[in-house]
Amino acid sequence: MVNDFLTEGPVSPDIISTELSKLGTMKDSGAHSIFLGQVRADPSGVRRVKAIEYSAYGSMVAAESEKIINAIRSEFDDVRSVRIIHSAGIVMAGEISLFVLVSAGHRQQAMEACTKTVNLIKKSLPVWKKEIFEDNSHEWKQDNYA
Amino acid sequence: MQIQVLFFGVLAEVTMTGSRHYPDVRSFDDLRLRVEDDFPEIVHYNYRIAVNNEIINEEPVLQDGDEIAFMPPFTGG
Repeated sequence: MVNDFLTEGPVSPDIISTELSKLGTMKDSGAHSIFLGQVRADPSGVRRVKAIEYSAYGSMVAAESEKIINAIRSEFDDVRSVRIIHSAGIVMAGEISLFVLVSAGHRQQAMEACTKTVNLIKKSLPVWKKEIFEDNSHEWKQDNYA
Repeated sequence: MQIQVLFFGVLAEVTMTGSRHYPDVRSFDDLRLRVEDDFPEIVHYNYRIAVNNEIINEEPVLQDGDEIAFMPPFTGG
């Protein structure tokens, strides 16, 4: 891991498995909502995305992730924990680039808080996507509406 | 003041550098003019400024050792 919130390359099944293995210790939680963001092989004209290269302002990702987690825990009083892991570097189409896990006493807040966390990540995390196409050309993503 | 400037996203590509150190900075306006002089192409891009990991919405008062990030719109997540 680059820091607590950034991993170099894809969020691997091993990383996800490690995070899920911690759930058994949270005996006051009855619901866990997970979001996995995956790199899509989007078409762009005749080209297709083969990978995304993520660049990040590491120290600010950590600071903003903490702010997001604090905001979610303030808004949702049933949420017990929020875990965020974002990729930096190259992630191939089909691989995971974002992992969000929200644990709560009950399912309603787990699911709502997970959705809100993902939306806050897209708005506030200093991360940038460069789409790499099958012909090895690239293009910087201009907006965050996907 | 000694100021470290960081460039991210497309700005890192167009400036061909991720960072540059600026000595003898008098103010934020002085820094901005020097950055635009060194990298004139950045005026064609939208970006926000962070000072020591905090986005600023008005001209900041800089301190020696501050880290200033030039950041295009975020596209993570």
